[in-house]
Amino acid sequence: MTLLAVAGLEKSFGGVMAISDLSFEVPQGSVYAVIGPNGAGKTTLFNMLCGIYTPSAGGIEFGGESLVGRQPYEVAALGISRTFQNLQVFFNLTVLENVMVGAHLRSHRGLYRAAVRWPGVMAEERQIGEWAREALAFCGLEKLADRGADSLPYGALKRLEIARALAARPRLLLMDEPAAGLNDTETIEMRELIGRISEAGVTVLLVEHNMGLVMGVSDTVLVLDYGSRLAEGPPKQVQNDPQVIAAYLGGEVEHAEH
Amino acid sequence: MRRFYGFFVFAALVLALPLAFPDNYFVTVVGVTIGLHIVLAVSLNLFMGFAGQISLGHAAFFGMGAYTSAILTSRYGIDPWLAMLVALAVVAVIANAIARPVLKLRGHYLAMATLGFGIIVNIVMVQEVDWTGGPDGMSGIPGLSIFGWELDSDLKWYGVVAVVMLASVWISLNIVDSRAGRALRAVHGSEVAAQMMGIDTARAKAQVFVLSALLACFVGSLFAHQQAFVSPDSFNFFFSIELVTMVVLGGLGSTFGAVFGAVVLTLLPELLVVFEDYEVLILGAILMTIMIFLPQGLFVGLVQGARSLLARRRESALVGS
Repeated sequence: MTLLAVAGLEKSFGGVMAISDLSFEVPQGSVYAVIGPNGAGKTTLFNMLCGIYTPSAGGIEFGGESLVGRQPYEVAALGISRTFQNLQVFFNLTVLENVMVGAHLRSHRGLYRAAVRWPGVMAEERQIGEWAREALAFCGLEKLADRGADSLPYGALKRLEIARALAARPRLLLMDEPAAGLNDTETIEMRELIGRISEAGVTVLLVEHNMGLVMGVSDTVLVLDYGSRLAEGPPKQVQNDPQVIAAYLGGEVEHAEH
Repeated sequence: MRRFYGFFVFAALVLALPLAFPDNYFVTVVGVTIGLHIVLAVSLNLFMGFAGQISLGHAAFFGMGAYTSAILTSRYGIDPWLAMLVALAVVAVIANAIARPVLKLRGHYLAMATLGFGIIVNIVMVQEVDWTGGPDGMSGIPGLSIFGWELDSDLKWYGVVAVVMLASVWISLNIVDSRAGRALRAVHGSEVAAQMMGIDTARAKAQVFVLSALLACFVGSLFAHQQAFVSPDSFNFFFSIELVTMVVLGGLGSTFGAVFGAVVLTLLPELLVVFEDYEVLILGAILMTIMIFLPQGLFVGLVQGARSLLARRRESALVGS
């Protein structure tokens, strides 16, 4: 079953085509990777999927609903969550609070009720805390729950963003370069974490430069070049695609195989 | 619950002060002003400290409350409590109307827009002489009574303002650790990430802006009845700046920081009166010194300092044993 369908998608910035005539489908329950050199349009694609940019043309359908023209918070409400390439952690909050914000959509008490401690507010608060601790434990961060987010090392911050996104219980998780800036050990842990997220039933769409991670974890790989599709298929097939090798994977493919 | 220990200690202190010094000018007279300023600072901190926005026009809402109450009670003989409700309704409508367009702006632009709003409101107070009495203000505003209990002494006013003030602090403490409060702080931390977590950031900002305005409006009404006199000078641009200074001085984002800032900035000028001509100069120097050495704010800085000192003590005690 297709969860996310992109058809004829285009985005131009003042005459520069960042994405042109791009179509692909992400099956439910799969790990789908988008790769391509810098400037290929990966982040632009992400920003359109989550409502930050509006496409110049084309359509995006998620679970039968069109995402075009929706605000990011509306996209989130449909069941899409994401992590960011350049960390967007709430550094003014604790680790636990960061993840509690992730559970925003699963709870609903508003400002005025909170202000006067309306009955039910505290119970909901405890529930949010539980959900957040679950998500933290899933990402191996439970011991850091009460630390300020600004005191965490980079690798933990990356996992914190994932925990926050998972606390929303999304159907689709967009991961923007989850392994960027991680060392080899952390990358292996990240690969394992993505595997577990997928096993938990969350569809994953990731953009990544680390070919080892991409080839190891994804079911399907889409190769972007200059904003359009160069190749698509299972990792093995894409790895051996002469067009892809010629274009830019080159030595990277061999690196991925050991 | 641990967070509320501080609140109970503070409440006990506020209520014990007039019992210990019932005739002290600084407690009963300055105390009322401090109480009103605390509500204003705490309400502004909801918008500035939690949500990370800026308003240089907060005094306008304070003034709207005061003038609406003053005009309705003294010119039309309307019951003060009813007038207060009307004031709150008026401010709710105006704050809601300007929230969406104004809060689209960020940083310096938001500062300019709120500044402009504050100035416009102040000009209305000065120019609409038939309604507001113009630059000379309005006197003869009736006092307030609660179910026949006339607020006719400084001490009674202190009691009422203390309760309102403690309620505002309680509200602020409730909000900061709630779902809505975290959403606001998330907007402060990263607006794009907050949106991706499903927070309608425009709505969240507008909501807290309106709540903050309503609190200011309410103490404005109290202020008018307590003073029995209002003039545009109490609600001008400089007072808006003073409120921002209170919030920043105490520690942006901390409820007790706002309380502390309001106390210090209200009390200090009273104490510095002895320096006569140099009063403002010394006040400025003190504020600069505080911000240079405790940029996170007086209250927040002192608490952090005390905590790390205690932690170090405990560590050395452990090493020693």
